[in-house]
Amino acid sequence: MRKYVPKGNVQKKAYYTDRFHVVPRVPRNEVEDAHFASVVSVLKADIKESYMELGQLVIHIDNRSNFDVIKVLKEECGYTQCSEQSAVDYLAQDNEFELFWQMLNVNEAKRVRVVCRLPQGMAIDSIESLFKSANFAEREMFDMFGIKVNNHPFLKRILMPDDWEGHPLLKTYPLHGDEFASWYEVDKIFGKAYRDIIGPENRDPSKIDIEDTKRFSRVGYEVPFGGEYNSDTKEEIEYSDTFLVNYNKPKSKTLDERR
Amino acid sequence: MQQVPNKLTPFFENLNFERDDNTMVINFGPQHPSAHGQLRLVLELDGEQVVKAYPDIGYLHRGIEKMAENMTYNEFLPTTDRLDYIASTSNNYAYALAVEKLLGIEAPRRAQVIRTMLLELNRIISHLFFIATHALDVGAMSVFLYAFREREYAMDLMEDYCGARLTHSAVRIGGVPLDLPKGWIENLAAFCDKVDHEVEHTYEALLSQNRIWRMRLEDVGVISAEDALNWGCTGPMLRGSGVKYDIRKEEPYELYSELDFDIPVSDRCDSYGRYRLYMQEMRESTKILRQLMPMYAKSDSQLMAHAPQYISAPKEQIMTQNYALMQHFVLVTQGMRPPKGEVYVPTESPKGELGFYIKSEGEPYAYRLKCRAPSFFHTGLLQEILVGTYIADVVTIIGTTNIVFGEVDR
Amino acid sequence: MAQHQVNYASTAGLPIALTSVDKLVNWGRSNSLWPLTYGLACCAIEMMASGDSRYDFDRMGTIFRASPRQADVMILAGTLSKKHSEFARRLYDQMTEPKWVISMGSCANTGGMFNTYATVQGVDRIIPVDIYLPGCAPRPETLQYAMMMLQKKIRKESANMNKNTKQDLTHQTGKRARLI
Ligand code: SF4
Repeated sequence: MRKYVPKGNVQKKAYYTDRFHVVPRVPRNEVEDAHFASVVSVLKADIKESYMELGQLVIHIDNRSNFDVIKVLKEECGYTQCSEQSAVDYLAQDNEFELFWQMLNVNEAKRVRVVCRLPQGMAIDSIESLFKSANFAEREMFDMFGIKVNNHPFLKRILMPDDWEGHPLLKTYPLHGDEFASWYEVDKIFGKAYRDIIGPENRDPSKIDIEDTKRFSRVGYEVPFGGEYNSDTKEEIEYSDTFLVNYNKPKSKTLDERR
Repeated sequence: MQQVPNKLTPFFENLNFERDDNTMVINFGPQHPSAHGQLRLVLELDGEQVVKAYPDIGYLHRGIEKMAENMTYNEFLPTTDRLDYIASTSNNYAYALAVEKLLGIEAPRRAQVIRTMLLELNRIISHLFFIATHALDVGAMSVFLYAFREREYAMDLMEDYCGARLTHSAVRIGGVPLDLPKGWIENLAAFCDKVDHEVEHTYEALLSQNRIWRMRLEDVGVISAEDALNWGCTGPMLRGSGVKYDIRKEEPYELYSELDFDIPVSDRCDSYGRYRLYMQEMRESTKILRQLMPMYAKSDSQLMAHAPQYISAPKEQIMTQNYALMQHFVLVTQGMRPPKGEVYVPTESPKGELGFYIKSEGEPYAYRLKCRAPSFFHTGLLQEILVGTYIADVVTIIGTTNIVFGEVDR
Repeated sequence: MAQHQVNYASTAGLPIALTSVDKLVNWGRSNSLWPLTYGLACCAIEMMASGDSRYDFDRMGTIFRASPRQADVMILAGTLSKKHSEFARRLYDQMTEPKWVISMGSCANTGGMFNTYATVQGVDRIIPVDIYLPGCAPRPETLQYAMMMLQKKIRKESANMNKNTKQDLTHQTGKRARLI
């Protein structure tokens, strides 16, 4: 099989953008809260940038210090839970991923987001030894983006099958899947030889197949269920976009029971 | 009928006797009546004891996060129904709240009251479902029938409000689409009484002192507070281990800061404690619902937030005012364009912390949407909590984690 | 040892009884349809609800079985993902003849709203389906109606399944033939 070649960003784009449209930005505020200020001061050496966005502290760090930063957060700042961790694909723009860890301090009800940038092809350190919840989260990140994680006990695909090709959440991966994805179940169950018999997937919900007499019956020219499609009657019906225009009632054929 | 030839070979992964070390590997799922969906567990057994458990998930992966990147914000809302399909409105709400935070708008008072009502109603639906299936897995069939009876009444209420039984989409970004129908509040009040009565006189009467139930649940699935935090447990799983953390109380959203309710906690750390917690939470939910009813009467009738840039005007205005119509047209055809930025909003869904992380680049399509699903992390926990238990307890433990595969696999 | 002629039907020993045997067998088959609990996603919740106290599936002789070996009809309730498709086929192969399939919900019929890389676009790509049940999620009444339609279909069938017009992959001829 021909391997799928990524085609750049295939995410859906707005078809029209006003020339004068200026995208505003969610306000980023100074760190004022006493608790967050102490977090920032503890981590001063590692933080590249820190600000408050919508009530949560966001700190940007270097991708080599993620383990140390999260360790300090856990041991000194009381962040006892890593609620979420994942990545954002910025390969097209910067050839980088943006990784984030969403931390929760249960006692003070405070949340910090640790963000770092990771160039493509580099691996990130696992925080599994600090937070076991990272076990599944990192596997998911690997599955969805192909980001390798160092020191992970069991880095394997988690959501997609083991023999899957490609990483679905990359912007280069099409929503409807590549060639491999579209034949996956047929290849696996029946073998490649059956591709012709089963046929390609129908991803168009409004598709009408005039020769398929099992699923569609033509007004005025009905044939029994599964019967032969008769092509000579093709021209006699005229459709406009929505309506039947020329419908010759006396010449037409209607079955009492199609099946 | 003749068998269609296929190349699937017989599947002997199920039983693997030929191992040197006397252990046996069995495969549980992905189709198993008590696996709560499509959970596949590969268990290594020494006699009857589990020595290693490996949860295999992804059998319901539908690419919802990828869909979110290719849909406008409003289009994506009905898809969130299918995450935790037992309590759909809590997903709709969590998503709507995240987008609202990003846009910087707030729903009007009446919408907030209705949303909070629906959220609590969904909590009751979900907890009734939990008790039904959990009891069924453990072997108490009649509880299933009773709990589903009450659940149907709650579904009737949901159906009255939004027309759907399961996939509600009852919340919109910026408010709610409809006002409560006539007589709904009275029905809700009757339903609250019913739930309170049934919780005490049916479920607890049937189960709490039941010897078999206690033997199968007590000291099964024990998880310490430290482990619970470490594994990312939230919701009843965390509170069942003695950590009093409920997002409704600690980081209040919607009307929860005005309402008076308790957070039940159990420090038994086992399945029985969690079962008591679920029962108690249903009582708290009815308490909240009762407080909301007078609030509804006092609120004025605006249902959607006023933010012409992001949210369509009410129907009457669209029909009468040119500008509102134009805005509506743009919003429907192109979708709203939130400001650039990222947001993570946690909410307390019936299963735990349900949060949406949205990264917006100012386009009508989210650049990245990550759904933080509580069940995902509870499934991860299985690989530790199952080790050392007996095979008969495996279904109890799966039941007590109350996982839903729509949100595990997304 | 004396030879007893037992298989009257195959030797055409009892020509008149044939249709009544068909009827008798089909009566039995259609009134004790035991479905496999094959819950895949949201629709499975409605499938459970149709077995509960309000909708009461048991009154139609429909009792959910947990094992494919004991089941006659497979209700595919929910989204079939590509990862799971292999198991769906395995379970179908494990069911004993005669067997029928109800595809419940838009996801099982066509992939539904999940037009993505991970979903099988219609379970009829991998197993033959008898009844397609639209809806997202179909209400319990709808599932019961589908069950009644299936009963109707069974009553029309010949009791000898080999003669049935049900087609499988090997019999497909048309260009875009799919499993029906
Ligand atoms: S058809 Fe709808 S309710 Fe049924 S599984 Fe699919 S998404 Fe869920």
